[in-house]
Amino acid sequence: MGNILTILVALIFVAAIFTPFLYGVWRQKTGLYLSFIPLLIFICLLVEALHLAPHEGFILDTPIVFLPGMNLAFRIDGLTLIFGLLISGIGFLILLYSAKYMAKYERQGHFYTYLMFFMGSMIGMVFSDNLIIMFMFWEITSVASFFLIGFDHHREKSRQAALQALLITGFGGLSLLFAVILIGNICGSYNVSDLLRQHIHVGNHPHYYLILTLIILAAITKSAQFPFHFWLPGAMEAPTPVSAYLHSATMVNAGVFLLMRLYPVMGGTVFWKYSLMITGCITMFLGAFFALGQRDLKRILAFTTISALGTMVLLVGIDTTDSLKAALVFFIVHGLYKGGLFMVAGIVEKTTGTRDIYALHGLFRSLPITAIVTLLALVSMAGLPPMLGFIGKELIYEAKMQLPDVSWLILPLSVGANIMLVAVAINIYYQLFTKKKDREDIVLHYKEREIPFTMLLGPVVLAISGVLLGLYPQMLNALVSNALYFMGNIVYDTKLSLWHGYNDVLRVSIFTVLSGILIFILRKPVTKLIVKMIVWFDIYHLPTLFTNSINNYLKGAARSTNRIQHGYHRYYLLTFFLVVMALVALQLFRMKNMEITDTAPGPVKLHVLMLLIVSSLAVVYTVFTKSRLAAIIALGVSGYGIAMLYLYYGAVDLAITQFLAETVLMVIFVLVIYYLPEFAILSNKKTRLRDGIISLGIGVFVTLVVLEARFLQLNEPISGFFAENAYTMAHGGNIVNVILVDFRALDTMGEIAVLTLAATGVYSLFRFQIKTIKKLKRRGSQELTEPDSNN
Amino acid sequence: MNNVILEKTTRLFLKVMAIISLYLLFRGHNSPGGGFIGGIVLATGFIFYGIVFGSNEIKKIIRFNSRTWMGIGLSLVILAAVIPLFFGEEPLTGIWYEGLWPLLGTVHLGTPLIFDTGIYVGVAGLILSVIITIMEVLEWNT
Repeated sequence: MGNILTILVALIFVAAIFTPFLYGVWRQKTGLYLSFIPLLIFICLLVEALHLAPHEGFILDTPIVFLPGMNLAFRIDGLTLIFGLLISGIGFLILLYSAKYMAKYERQGHFYTYLMFFMGSMIGMVFSDNLIIMFMFWEITSVASFFLIGFDHHREKSRQAALQALLITGFGGLSLLFAVILIGNICGSYNVSDLLRQHIHVGNHPHYYLILTLIILAAITKSAQFPFHFWLPGAMEAPTPVSAYLHSATMVNAGVFLLMRLYPVMGGTVFWKYSLMITGCITMFLGAFFALGQRDLKRILAFTTISALGTMVLLVGIDTTDSLKAALVFFIVHGLYKGGLFMVAGIVEKTTGTRDIYALHGLFRSLPITAIVTLLALVSMAGLPPMLGFIGKELIYEAKMQLPDVSWLILPLSVGANIMLVAVAINIYYQLFTKKKDREDIVLHYKEREIPFTMLLGPVVLAISGVLLGLYPQMLNALVSNALYFMGNIVYDTKLSLWHGYNDVLRVSIFTVLSGILIFILRKPVTKLIVKMIVWFDIYHLPTLFTNSINNYLKGAARSTNRIQHGYHRYYLLTFFLVVMALVALQLFRMKNMEITDTAPGPVKLHVLMLLIVSSLAVVYTVFTKSRLAAIIALGVSGYGIAMLYLYYGAVDLAITQFLAETVLMVIFVLVIYYLPEFAILSNKKTRLRDGIISLGIGVFVTLVVLEARFLQLNEPISGFFAENAYTMAHGGNIVNVILVDFRALDTMGEIAVLTLAATGVYSLFRFQIKTIKKLKRRGSQELTEPDSNN
Repeated sequence: MNNVILEKTTRLFLKVMAIISLYLLFRGHNSPGGGFIGGIVLATGFIFYGIVFGSNEIKKIIRFNSRTWMGIGLSLVILAAVIPLFFGEEPLTGIWYEGLWPLLGTVHLGTPLIFDTGIYVGVAGLILSVIITIMEVLEWNT
């Protein structure tokens, strides 16, 4: 089963690459057909989950090794299975949903490509056993999210939101990279399974605080925690399937996943606890608070997502077995109801054309199925029985109540947040689906039975699974226990049940719901107050602050670039030569004490001397001639002379390359020379003198360096190694070529990439000129023909 | 400009240069030559062709855009870098195949050949790209 899983994940990527072509064939059915892959993955994972022994976690190895210590291997245990099941399951529903939702969009092929890339890398990130590979997938999810948020790229807002999200999550990604490298260096392995097996905890290492800060930065940027939360509401510019998938159910949970995965390695210290608790608490409360003041359904949901993510981070920070269990269960709860609610938001938007909840009312009659599904999801969000949300919330309260020191602060805050979420849930349902007599009926673009079942399937399935898991929560016991075993090495028998008995937790829950209803009844003054406070908060409007700081940074960069990159070629050369001269002089000065074993120069051969004389004369001629053509030819002569020198000393490859380069250069020169302005001396005597001195100086210095280098033997020269191993290791007789294509192939690769960039640069510099030339020509020919047509 | 001798010679020159460049490419591993040198030789042939016939004629011969050729070259290079991964080696490691083929005798092939071919195509493509761009700006022979 395991091998099928890796193949399927690879298949996602292959499908992602070929989606633009597949879209050409399948058109509107693309989403439908593509959805089979996540469905198969889901089934595979389900089978794995059912067969997983209580304390079993295993590795699916693949032969792919990127670099030593970076092998692509999948890790299957409770934690990864919980995340993987949700990602693949919701991914399947989202692809089905997109098939209809995206029907009127342009560039759907691209959309599916990005979505598939995201899905593959998200699954890869969760399952990968290697931290570096995990980081790579983490980054791909950020990039995919960037493209998906900016999918409507003709809108300024969309582009800005995409860039903002990318910059913030990219910043987190960088921190993650540093942290991962540090962890790998300290522990000697990048593999999660090694870290878990050896029970490594880096808490006592001097770099622990640095690593932890970096990890927390990565987690809170990705999971939209305060003060980086603002990219998530902005990300609502994306098409709704994307919001449902990336920005509520899966990607934003990656930070929480990271914390859970690294919990056995990093977790449990005081710093860990308090930093996560503080961030989580603030985020949880702030998200719920702002959610009450929004009008746009998607923005409301985004803020509740922020609140939920805050809750998860807080629970991981509380750091007890109960809280970890609560975090896991709440992750499932949240994925189920929030994914469904976003899909409902999409359906409402498609049918009515707006997402403003205050502009809508009385949709129950026209959208009965949607209404029921929404009700179920909202009940789960409010944490009422019989949904899974109830169990999740009970666990959360329980975990928070057991907290020893700070429960007096955290419990009221989280009860407050939950009260507001209950109010938000009631408000959404009330505004959307109940009929208000004093308002006109809403005109619908579609009727519900015109909505294809693929679109309704998503929210329906998610709502039903919420109910089922709520009624039979024991289905999750095994998985959660397994996950807990691998998170904290806790042997714990999870027993989830809907009814906990009449205890403190239930009393708090009842209080929450009643207060939520109270706030709903008082919604008008409360909303007014919150809106007023949002306006007041807007002085510190984080997105604007962020954009401004980015803009200022860019301005500063432009200013400094203008100063350094002034565009005068002669000054570039001057700077370059002077700096090189200064450095060489410094080095020569420092090496004065070195012993120079003076070897007597060998006998000078006559033909070599002649070549040298010809080349030097050609150079002198180049400098003083008044004809450009002559100068170029003289330069060529000196170049060929040097190539001949190479030839005499046995560097055949170098000589050939030099000959060819000279030839091409000459041809291009001759091609262009006719178009150059007339040769003239524009600079005055002083400048020419200065230039002359500097060029002489650099020449002298280079000569000195070459002479000096003959006597320097800093290390064993590497050429010996190449000469010895060229044939045995690389099967080549020509050392130069073997070095180029085998020993130092990476260098060659870099060089060819740079050359390609340069050629592209030449093309893009001239592109507009070519276009105008063509346009002028077309116009010219029209003008020529026009008089004829007039006559 | 209509010079029959020049045109005939240039056509021949291009073919000869192409063959020489391929020869240089294939022998490169054991004696002087290789992808870089071969690529420049091929490009030189095309440059002369372009000078005589104009850049549009080059475009007709090379079929794809010259920048596409650059891309093909780069892709080959990357391919040669990636193939070893599937054999459990580090990227860019040479993977060699040795076998007895009918007619040819012992054949000895490896990923460095793909790499070198990539360099060959890439270098030729990028020189052509620059030349064609310059010719179009100068309106050479069009």
